[in-house]
Amino acid sequence: MRATAVAALVALALGVGVQASTAAPKASCPGAWAKGWQRLADKINAPVYCPTWMPNPLDAQIGGQYQDIYSIGKDRSYLVGFLEHGDLGSGDVHVNFRGYPGRTTIPTCPAPVGKSTVPCFADPAGKVVENGIRATVYQVNQGADQWHILLAWRYNGSLYSVSQHVIVPYDSVTRVRANLKHLLKSLVLVRPQD
Amino acid sequence: MRLTRRHFLGGAAAAAVAGGGIYELVDKLGSSPKRPVAEPAGMPPEQHVFDLSTVRSEGVDVLVPPLHSEVVTATLAAPDLPKAQTQLEDVLRELDARYPLTPAGLGVTVAWGLPYFDRFVGEQAKTHLPFDRRAGKPVLLPNRRFPSDPSSTLLESNDMVVLLRSDHVEHIDEARTAIFALPFLTVTSIRHGFAGGGFEGGLGLPKKMGVAAGVPGADLIPDGAELFLGFTSTQKAGLGPGKIANHETLGYVDLRSGYFHGGTHMHLSHINEDLEAWYLNFDFDERLLTAFRPGMKNVRVNAQTIPQGPAQVSPVALLESQFEKTGRFGHSASIQATSRLLQDTVGADGTAYPKGTAIPQRADFNTLDNPFMFSSDPKRDGMSKEPSAGVHFVVFNPTGDDFERNRLAMDGVLPGGKTLSVPPRNRAQGFNSVLTTTHRQNFLVPPRRHRSFPLAEL
Repeated sequence: MRATAVAALVALALGVGVQASTAAPKASCPGAWAKGWQRLADKINAPVYCPTWMPNPLDAQIGGQYQDIYSIGKDRSYLVGFLEHGDLGSGDVHVNFRGYPGRTTIPTCPAPVGKSTVPCFADPAGKVVENGIRATVYQVNQGADQWHILLAWRYNGSLYSVSQHVIVPYDSVTRVRANLKHLLKSLVLVRPQD
Repeated sequence: MRLTRRHFLGGAAAAAVAGGGIYELVDKLGSSPKRPVAEPAGMPPEQHVFDLSTVRSEGVDVLVPPLHSEVVTATLAAPDLPKAQTQLEDVLRELDARYPLTPAGLGVTVAWGLPYFDRFVGEQAKTHLPFDRRAGKPVLLPNRRFPSDPSSTLLESNDMVVLLRSDHVEHIDEARTAIFALPFLTVTSIRHGFAGGGFEGGLGLPKKMGVAAGVPGADLIPDGAELFLGFTSTQKAGLGPGKIANHETLGYVDLRSGYFHGGTHMHLSHINEDLEAWYLNFDFDERLLTAFRPGMKNVRVNAQTIPQGPAQVSPVALLESQFEKTGRFGHSASIQATSRLLQDTVGADGTAYPKGTAIPQRADFNTLDNPFMFSSDPKRDGMSKEPSAGVHFVVFNPTGDDFERNRLAMDGVLPGGKTLSVPPRNRAQGFNSVLTTTHRQNFLVPPRRHRSFPLAEL
């Protein structure tokens, strides 16, 4: 009894609702963002991950004010990026989502020097497990993910990733990893509609 | 928001850094390496020789650097030279008597710049300064920039410099206070830093200090790394042994009167290191080939100590062929073209040095200075209170030209004039793309007997 009371007090002190132990409703792709992610899933005919949280000030509305890159390859792989570019020195907030339907190997990118290729995601630095996803943290990434920390994971025979640029205002790897962990936790799967 | 130095000093660590600033954290975050307690039988004739203990790191003999190092530069205010010479020597002798010449005690190296020799002892210098017969130039050369230096690199004109090395910052504080209380010395800069601290396990000082100061990219430094860039730099085979860096040892130098027998040349620079660029853009394989050479095989992922003994020296032909093949070259491989003995050599004192032996004796250390801990001219020196990852590079070579050969090789300019053509500061050019040199100066290190105002008594 005493333990229950203490737990409730702790929960209150942490700002956690005392009903937190009851099952939360399954999150879904936020209303304003859902249409774009659903359209993407339909177009590539494969599941995509929609975030339900983004680092401030971004949202994840495809076609919205922060969308940067929206690219779908012939192999159905996609890259969707969101960017806030702080012209007045406030820094950049840049998050990329990728998916490679039907493949789980890490793609290759042109090497920074010479004519060879290198893995697009390299220097693995541990794992993050959230939301039933076990992702590998990659510290050295190429192309649109250069200077980003990237999480990559496999689901149902496909490879997915989310990355964030290490730059002011999120200018430490520790902060970016915390954001990515939060992002991973927030992802919901959007399946293609028949 | 990253902690600024002001925030840092105002935070929870304020009590720990109240006296000597952030660097007192070295004593909080690191532990002194185990050192031999016996004092050397006598002081060596050389000022630059400083015996360090050896540990094994990943199967390689590594010298354990002093935890703290400090460089203080100064100008002279028209001193009465003979009197000043006696006064400085008295202070130095007191320090010699107080501390053993070991990292557990204190190492003091006093060196003198071209402005001193020109302004105060010009006539004597004409007769006694050593001459590099291999290069056909004086041993002490005017400062210069190198191809990968930005145009902003400041070429300094200090009269003298003192290098202080110890595991105990209070020994350095005491030495600095004693020496620079002399009225004829005007301090122009104080440069402090640290190295090592991770050979017995743990994070290592560079990571601890960088993270504590909120330096971008510091959280990516591998645990236990000796220096910010992650590789062990003080392996025994990579540093010149014994007296090899003395002017006289390898026969490059005409010592003329012999006054500077036992002396050496010292180059001092400050280099900013972009840790984020290094760790976020270069994966381990690329860091390896950038720091050492392309094509290295059988290296464990995330290894820190890469053998660099005579057997691993990269011949110039290999350097060139790898460059042809890959379009890039490594830092160590390019420098080894000039920094290692090309043949078995017997030194002037009869010591045999095998082919591949390193010549330069580096005494570089990491720093959070930006660019210095103190400057008498903050605007000129670009002083900032924001901590920044960097290195105070200190190296002893037999001559200034020998240093220049090594530094040029780092930029792909090989002996004989061949150049590995890579644009300056390009990613294909060793470390250069993540390094920015802010200051440079050459000095002459007299032998211990003439360390105080050399030539002033003549």
